[in-house]
Amino acid sequence: MFSVLKPHRWKLTALLLAANLGLLLHLACGDLKAVSEWVWLDIIGEGGSALLALVWLGLVLKSRPAGRVTNYLALGLSCIFFSWWIDSLDEFIRLPDSITWDHWLESGPMPVGMILLTIGIYHWHREQLAISAQMEKRERLFREHRLFDKLTPLGSADYLKRQLADSLADSISQQQPLSLLVLDLDNFASINQHFSHAEGDAVLQALSHLLLLNLRRQDLLCRLAGDRFVVLLPNTGERQAQLLAQELQHAVHSLAHKTRQHGERLQLAASTAVVMALDETPETLLKRLNLALARAKQPLAKSA
Amino acid sequence: MTVKTTWYEADSRFIPGHYQPATLIDLALSRDIDSHRLLRGTGLFHEDILAGQTRLSPQQFLQLIGNSRRLLDADDSSFLFGQRLLPGHYGAVSHALRHAQNLHQALDTLVQQQALLSPLATPRLLLDEQFAYVYWLDSCGAGEQWRFLLEASMTSLVAMSQWLSGRRLPWVCSLSHAEPRYVEQYWVHLGEDTQFKRPLDLMRIPREYLAQPWPNASATAGQVARLEAVGQIEQLGFAESFTDCLYTYLIEHVRQPPSLEQAAQAFAMSPATLKRKLQKHDTGFQQQVDRVRKQVALYLYQVKGLSNEEVADYLSFSDAANFRRSFKRWTGSTPNLIRQLFSMG
Repeated sequence: MFSVLKPHRWKLTALLLAANLGLLLHLACGDLKAVSEWVWLDIIGEGGSALLALVWLGLVLKSRPAGRVTNYLALGLSCIFFSWWIDSLDEFIRLPDSITWDHWLESGPMPVGMILLTIGIYHWHREQLAISAQMEKRERLFREHRLFDKLTPLGSADYLKRQLADSLADSISQQQPLSLLVLDLDNFASINQHFSHAEGDAVLQALSHLLLLNLRRQDLLCRLAGDRFVVLLPNTGERQAQLLAQELQHAVHSLAHKTRQHGERLQLAASTAVVMALDETPETLLKRLNLALARAKQPLAKSA
Repeated sequence: MTVKTTWYEADSRFIPGHYQPATLIDLALSRDIDSHRLLRGTGLFHEDILAGQTRLSPQQFLQLIGNSRRLLDADDSSFLFGQRLLPGHYGAVSHALRHAQNLHQALDTLVQQQALLSPLATPRLLLDEQFAYVYWLDSCGAGEQWRFLLEASMTSLVAMSQWLSGRRLPWVCSLSHAEPRYVEQYWVHLGEDTQFKRPLDLMRIPREYLAQPWPNASATAGQVARLEAVGQIEQLGFAESFTDCLYTYLIEHVRQPPSLEQAAQAFAMSPATLKRKLQKHDTGFQQQVDRVRKQVALYLYQVKGLSNEEVADYLSFSDAANFRRSFKRWTGSTPNLIRQLFSMG
């Protein structure tokens, strides 16, 4: 946790100093209010806001890599926190009426913070577009991090089912064909047995990158389970899907994956199957796809 | 005088930490899970397991499974665990599996050495003219971990027989639970024809696959390893769990189900002790009796091809209507419906 905050230690120290300085200034010029004078609603409202701003700052710093966008967001949130902090101080400390600088301290940083935060969020948006472009073929329109696959940088079977439901509805309303392609490695179990399960995991990760390179922009690749991958092909008929399947099979065959331990080349091969969506539920479509794959694998039973 | 226990119970510490538990621990560590969090609540330390000194009780192993499931938080954990389980690295008994001449010998070894090879889920083998059936019993009261264990156990058998025979064998798995959300894991690891909501947790394979010779098996090494494995079991002092012993006893007396008192006497303990022991394994006496009678009824239908009346008569029911009612209670379904299930599958 603290290693994440390390690159930001100067920002955090400065914020701490400023907050303390504000407190000391108040204490030096004013006197403490008695507990009977405290207005709890204001204390909870203003103090709570300051506390929340601090939590936002912590979450932003912890979850984002350091950089320009992070700096904007952090500075903006720091100003907002400072201004709410000063605001909550006058609930405890009464300043004489002759002093006016406290209004400046209270209201000055707020608009500055808001502007910085807005700039930060705008750039965050630009950054997100850039990242989404990198997620092409792995994600479509909808993101849910709980549906990420745990091993490969792809969506999981649950993500696929969700996307499939949407795509099926689209294909019916737009009168466009929708096809599904499944690819399954031959003899994957023997890779695990001969080269360890860690090597098997590495093969799956390499394979997911390879398949992405061989797909079109609008396609979506997900890992169904084990060594089985499914590609969702919008606006694609069965014949074109078969062509794509063959291309993927060739690509897998020519992949010269080297083992991590001895750099030995693994000869990979894959079986594929395609189905075109009819008027059916995602579950039955997926089931049909997997049965088609089982049929395609049958003559290969020796190496399944 | 103490009664000699010839079985293991949920709190008997006999599962070597570097056997099946280590397989699960390694899987979790390969997914970057912290070993302290993984072992929390089990009373175990990773260093002790690495030193090869730790023995786990079934309860501790179940706790470890619960922790792993929660921390791994993935639908394929049980299947990945299962793929790594057999033949395993459990000394002579693993060698015996590794050098099995054919599937039949491997299954016999698995059933006989269950305490070492699969201490939490007991496989039982049944044959009829066409098929061999392997069904799985909860041997230590796994509770909510049972499905995980079942997925892992079935996967371990499918994966092992695929590896040692050199090809994918046509196992068909049927499970008593409903089709889960992650059914694709079953397709990939157990086969596309996996069936759900069936009366038993059962795997089936055509009989001709039992005798087909497996490549790379050494007959002599296998023979010696089997002898050594018997020694391993003798050293352990027991070959079955308490609930499995009771299961065997109840099967023997299925035509006239014994009362709790009679069973307690046969096991040389007081009825209260028997009750307490069953409670410890998350079950009750009537539940065990019903389970055995249900399975025998299904066996008579499927394997022996008996009619409703004959099964009712065998199980000493006074009339067929009475039997149908009981059967409905055991399986949630009538005998005729179950028959249809079988003929479809």
